[in-house]
Amino acid sequence: MKCDRAYIHICDNLDENLNSPRCREIKAHLRECPDCQAYLDSLKKTIALYRAMPEPSVPSRVHRELFKTLTTLGGRTDRKTRHAGRKT
Amino acid sequence: MKRHSYRDTPEDEVIQAAKNADHAAFTELVRRYEETVYRFSYKICRDKTRAEETLQDTFISVFRKLRSFDGKSKFSTWLYTIVTNNCLMKLRRRKMADLEDSLEEYDHPPAGNGGKTGNLMARWEETPADIVIAGELKELLERAITSLAEDYRVVFVMRDIEGRSTEETASILGLSIEATKSRLRRARAFLREQLHPHMSAHIEGLP
Repeated sequence: MKCDRAYIHICDNLDENLNSPRCREIKAHLRECPDCQAYLDSLKKTIALYRAMPEPSVPSRVHRELFKTLTTLGGRTDRKTRHAGRKT
Repeated sequence: MKRHSYRDTPEDEVIQAAKNADHAAFTELVRRYEETVYRFSYKICRDKTRAEETLQDTFISVFRKLRSFDGKSKFSTWLYTIVTNNCLMKLRRRKMADLEDSLEEYDHPPAGNGGKTGNLMARWEETPADIVIAGELKELLERAITSLAEDYRVVFVMRDIEGRSTEETASILGLSIEATKSRLRRARAFLREQLHPHMSAHIEGLP
């Protein structure tokens, strides 16, 4: 396997169990090619860095606004339902 | 009269009740998913104000469309489709053709991949598992992902950060499996290339 093909397959199979015949071929290539192995490591580390990035939480102001909006929408639906009920 | 609480009710029952216009059930659904929706929106938008707008728009859409949810897919998959549409609608400006062209170069190994082992190895030393992303490194990661086109960013976020399968990502985005894989490949390579020139300084400086 050439580096070009390995490059595509490394990316496609980064997080998969390398047991299919094609994956075994990639594994063999990686053993022989330190460049591709290093490239694979660098891709894994790129992903690890992004997974480690802090994630924000919903600010309490936004939470309150969201529930206020949804309560208004719910109220409108309740009124419509009650109105429809009276008509029938 | 005391309102019924859905706190401990299984999700499918909460959804059914919410579909029958039970507002307490709908509120419970929002409570369960608001953090997920907000964080996912932020990961795509990279902007808190846009993530807040997307959060509001998403649950208004869910409120209006919930009756059309047929249960054939997981609720979270259906929800992610709405979030993604809301996010991308705000962000999408360029034509797909331009986007495809812009990342085509990442279908090939980086120039000089062969014969530069020492350099690569030195730049990408072992990353500690408990790495804290802060300061300059945070800015660098932020800059790189913000410069990645949104249609690729969303695939990277779903597959590599959220850990969703290729099939689910493809279904949410309305893409083929091959197109999903291709976008992920290009997104990963793009981000790696953006970080590459800076990595030695950051990684070496870590405890």
